[in-house]
Amino acid sequence: MRPAVLAALVLVLVALACYPAVGTGYGLRSVLQAFMWIALAGSWNLISGLTGYVSFGHVAFFGAGAYTAGILIASAGWSWPIATLAAGAAAGVLALAIGGPCLRLKGPYFAIAMLGLNEVLRALVSYFEGLTGGGNGLSMPTLDATVPIYYAMGVTALAVTFGARLIIGSRFGLRLMTIREDEVAAEAMGIPTFRHKLVAFLLSAIGPGIAGALTARDQGYIEPLSVFPLATTITMIVMTLFGGKGTVWGPVLGAVVLFVAQEMVWARYPYIHPLLFGAIIVAVVLAMPRGILGLLQLKYRLPRTV
Amino acid sequence: MAPALEVADVHKSFGGVRAVSGVSLSLERGRIHGLIGPNGSGKTTLFNCITGVERLDRGRILLDGEPIHGLQPYEIARRGVGRTFQMIRVFPELTALENLLVVTRGPRAAAEAHARELLAFVRLQDLAGEYAGNLSYGQQKLVEFVRMLMRDPSLVLLDEPAAGVNRTLLNELLDAVRRLRDAGKTVLLVEHDMKVVMGLCETVFVLDHGEKIAEGPPGVIQSDQRVIEAYFGR
Repeated sequence: MRPAVLAALVLVLVALACYPAVGTGYGLRSVLQAFMWIALAGSWNLISGLTGYVSFGHVAFFGAGAYTAGILIASAGWSWPIATLAAGAAAGVLALAIGGPCLRLKGPYFAIAMLGLNEVLRALVSYFEGLTGGGNGLSMPTLDATVPIYYAMGVTALAVTFGARLIIGSRFGLRLMTIREDEVAAEAMGIPTFRHKLVAFLLSAIGPGIAGALTARDQGYIEPLSVFPLATTITMIVMTLFGGKGTVWGPVLGAVVLFVAQEMVWARYPYIHPLLFGAIIVAVVLAMPRGILGLLQLKYRLPRTV
Repeated sequence: MAPALEVADVHKSFGGVRAVSGVSLSLERGRIHGLIGPNGSGKTTLFNCITGVERLDRGRILLDGEPIHGLQPYEIARRGVGRTFQMIRVFPELTALENLLVVTRGPRAAAEAHARELLAFVRLQDLAGEYAGNLSYGQQKLVEFVRMLMRDPSLVLLDEPAAGVNRTLLNELLDAVRRLRDAGKTVLLVEHDMKVVMGLCETVFVLDHGEKIAEGPPGVIQSDQRVIEAYFGR
């Protein structure tokens, strides 16, 4: 990384670290949400951007993390940081269990299976009322922890991004991309594609699990509809496609730009928001299927770790 | 010593189509073998059976005397079977160098040096940083060829190496295949270009309707009545 870029990055990180001291409550919550989107989009990129296995139910891990943490905090009385780590682990275990059968499916079948997973989880959470509160939702004891959660979410976004940088810069990352490029050829080259997909899927689930737990704690109340919305999956997909799938900084760029745009449009014209998102999907798919960074990479031969 | 590869009574059907039915053949170490036959005679299916892409309905496949049927394709590749495809299958959005690097382990610098060496072997060293998808058809074919060599396979399976390749490039490829043979590797190639097969191969197997109808040195095969019938009809 060039010194100038590194310096700018450090500056941004320091500014974000200092922000809680000066920011308003609304500002803090907005940045917190931007962190969440960076973590979600960056995680989705690990499985879908790299291996080409499009997960249409990635919010399932977010919801699973939210409910794991919610139950541990509300019923077992765990502290939220420990519950959050447990939620990340639970999302990882779920990914391994689901990935076993689902990652053997190809193309659209995997996408649909993941969509189904999300619906099944939502139904399960609604059904087991004793544990989850069912449709009434789950309330956690009140706690003002917005600032520590801000930092925790920031660290999660940072960890996902630098994890992606490590992976994409490595030969493991290249092997994941061979699955996207041509899975049959990858196998013929001696690459155990299934194992690679499973590891990528596992890694892609942990971030959303943690983000879900932190969001649950921050809001203090969760219900099936609020933590398993398909719209969240679609948003992380659009963010990654917009910024550049398969790149390190694409999901970050997409998350920040679209989140800011969304906040600005959302505040003024709530009805235009879905329209805008739909328009962006169409524009990205038609005009720049590689996203902004993918396009720049092709044009200017940027290193892979951009 | 066991043959380099032994295919014993292999059967493979797709629905009602018997793509390969009861084929047996044996490859000698360090020789170039040809596999020929009209379209739909089962050549590519047999390749797919050997490399684990297709499961056998019946029969056995032994590599150096060890059974490999039932293994995953990547396991078979790791045991030293390298292949190229009828339709080129490079990784288009990876650079030529990255195409070769993906299978390496250990120190990256050494792996890169080895990959560059192989690219230089087919005179692509200057295009190492180019996306494979941007290369010409012939260049992609060469990338696919040296990519296969990265694992230093003992058995090399080539599916129509001559297809769509100009004369100059073809001669380079054929030279490279001979050099592999001279280095002790066993080669099996599917080819439609009879000149290539007759000039290169030491033993030729002929498939027709999924069955092996002839086997022998090219000179004998050329005048075999059943082979002529299979190609030109009665």
